Amino acid sequence: MAVSPLVYPPQTTSLNSPLKRQPPSSSQQTSSNGTPNFPTGAAPLSAAKAILHQPQEKTSPPPSLTLDPIEQMNELEKRKYVKGRKLGEGTYANVYLGHSRSDPSSLVAIKKIKVQAQYNDGLAPDAVRELKHLQELRGHPNIIQLFSVFSSKDQNLNLVLEYLPLGDLEMLIKDVDHVRYGAGDIKAWMGMLTRAVWFCHENYVLHRDIKPNNLLIAADGEVKLADFGLARGFSDPGWRMTATVITRWYRPPELLFGARHYSGAVDIWSVGMVFAELIIRTAYLPGNTEVEQIGLICKRIGTPTEDNWPGVTQLSQYTVPSEITPVWGKEAFMSRFGAVGSEGVDLLVRTLALDPKRRITAREMLEHKWWKAEPKPTRKEDLPRKSGGEEKMGADLKRRNGVLEEDRGSKVARKLDFGAMR
Amino acid sequence: MPPPRPPTSAPRPGGVTAAPSTTSDGLPTRDADDMCPVCKTIRYLNRDMEFLVNPECYHSMCTACVNRLFDDGPKQCPYAGCRRTLRRKGFRAPFFGDLSVEREVDIRRRVSQVFNQVEDDFQTLRDYNNYLQMVEDLTFDLVHGDEATRHKAESQLSAWEAEHRTEIERNRRAGREQDEQSRKRLAAEAAAARQRRLDAIREAEEEKLEKIKIKEMEIDSLERGQPLPDSQRVQLKRRGNKAVEAVANLAANSSAAAAAMATADTVGKLSIRGLKEKKREPRPEGPYDPFGGLDLTPSRYKIHGGLSHPNVDKYRSDKGHVTGGYSFDEYTSRAMFEAFAGLGVFIEDEKEVGVGLVASEVVGMGAALAAVGGDGVKMELD
Repeated sequence: MAVSPLVYPPQTTSLNSPLKRQPPSSSQQTSSNGTPNFPTGAAPLSAAKAILHQPQEKTSPPPSLTLDPIEQMNELEKRKYVKGRKLGEGTYANVYLGHSRSDPSSLVAIKKIKVQAQYNDGLAPDAVRELKHLQELRGHPNIIQLFSVFSSKDQNLNLVLEYLPLGDLEMLIKDVDHVRYGAGDIKAWMGMLTRAVWFCHENYVLHRDIKPNNLLIAADGEVKLADFGLARGFSDPGWRMTATVITRWYRPPELLFGARHYSGAVDIWSVGMVFAELIIRTAYLPGNTEVEQIGLICKRIGTPTEDNWPGVTQLSQYTVPSEITPVWGKEAFMSRFGAVGSEGVDLLVRTLALDPKRRITAREMLEHKWWKAEPKPTRKEDLPRKSGGEEKMGADLKRRNGVLEEDRGSKVARKLDFGAMR
Repeated sequence: MPPPRPPTSAPRPGGVTAAPSTTSDGLPTRDADDMCPVCKTIRYLNRDMEFLVNPECYHSMCTACVNRLFDDGPKQCPYAGCRRTLRRKGFRAPFFGDLSVEREVDIRRRVSQVFNQVEDDFQTLRDYNNYLQMVEDLTFDLVHGDEATRHKAESQLSAWEAEHRTEIERNRRAGREQDEQSRKRLAAEAAAARQRRLDAIREAEEEKLEKIKIKEMEIDSLERGQPLPDSQRVQLKRRGNKAVEAVANLAANSSAAAAAMATADTVGKLSIRGLKEKKREPRPEGPYDPFGGLDLTPSRYKIHGGLSHPNVDKYRSDKGHVTGGYSFDEYTSRAMFEAFAGLGVFIEDEKEVGVGLVASEVVGMGAALAAVGGDGVKMELD
């Protein structure tokens, strides 16, 4: 347990208590938000107060109101950062550029999650998921770092995230005219992505929304997995999970067929899709509907049948096109994905195994011989990059999770089945 | 150095009582230039009068006085109230008319010889700036401070010099090398500029010749009654065409002309001297580690196959679990992880060292403590 995330002390758990939305109690013993008062004799707390009552603090409440310790912690946390200009605005969150008050040269992105009307009795589930898992997955170089959390006025939740100025992988993939990259670059990016997924899975977290525009690029070229708004911990046996997760193009067949008990293999399929997309520089299976998506999988990879995936016909939404395509072998992929060499294609084929039980795991991916083969992965400083990524980070972070950019609001509904989790 | 006393003070042997007009910090001003404050000789009487100062006290006097007073050994400064002992050897002609400037420049030169750290010696820019600030404070104390602060600054300076002798020597040497290099570069630039000028002259000459030739050709062709093709004429007429051609040529065979290009680069472009390019240290290129140097295998327990529990086993044959790819190994390893996750967290230690310590350090400390206590922390599970 060298880097067990559970050992980290919870530094920034300054979440507001859900009590906040209840009508204020009339009792004198409670503070403005209904949380009972604590004796404020302790030195740090009085120090906190001294800061709070400085005249330049605009948001500090009038001195007559006392703050409970949680609110004081929140104020202290909030004062550590200065919010700058807006990088982007979306329906789900606004993203601001910010910096730490003590060191103006350390930039951060502050993701201010909007209060959503449909979740007015608590926090939006995306925010909870993101917060929970980013707090647990601290300290890996390929996962976006969460520095702090605080709530601002109107009980908006603010996540202080690492500032990643160089855009995302999707920008690089799509910008065919200006960005050129080779097998070494693909290997370096895939290495970083696979390590991130491996770290999530070793810590029993499913990301469930891996796609190129959730892979942000840091100033030094490091790729970082972001957007944990659909993540969840591994489930217990007998505990149903929702099947409508992962953006459609990157969704594995078991989820398309409505499986409710799945494993880290769902993320691996997405990793394989990103791998393919990196090579051919366009989405590999861009289905417009779920039926079309299944059709594309059957056509390009092979039709799932009882032979290659025992029990698949029993899945609740199993529907495949009538003509059966046998599963394509490695040779068929060689023609289109040969740029990464025969070992690379071997790895790709293993990530795209139809049966999740036969799909390679993240650890096995990292043990694959492709990493040792030529060419060597490019050093992260030398990877191709693109300027003007600032707006894009804003756009990436403000997006809703699990939805394709092109058809927001279509029927790829973000139906998260909470009833099944009970 | 104390300000000169007013002229009413008792005359000293060999000295004079008159005080020259002084600045606020006690040094003679420029208008003392016409009269030696020591012997009162005026320029009218001695046209070649020159003034010398001794950096001990910066009291100026004429050459004649210096020779007269100090030829037979060290003596006190003739200025009233100045008790410095001066030697003939120490006198020199001041560079600046304002002797307070002269003094400040001397002090700065001395300080900069001791504090000769460069930016590369510092981890961050902030450190470097702090250092510069410190040096400037010290210099200010030396220049403008009163007796006590000057003494303090002086002792600081010598303490620093004693403490950092080797570094100072190294930086001095590096500075000399850099001076040498910049001198060489300047010389190279001058030579290149000269060469360019010659080339330009030669080119202009050639162009002129060419023009004459074209004119002759044109006249010839007109004589013969068939004018030159338009394209040729236009091309030849355009002025400065040669230069464009030359650049194109240079770009084309860049490999051959790499050396020439290099000099052209350094000469032609604006170069900001203050901004040095930071050299990136070459990193050792080890074999690529796909895991990024991370080992996440649990160290406190081993997972053996065949762990079972009736509440879990009933799902092992469940179609929904099997087909969806649910992994029971992941479940058992997670269960084990969660069972052992609290081990290695020593709350007492964390309380002592404070929250925010790197977890692994706490683990290490706790493990060390436990090892001293005699209980093995590591355990194996069967």
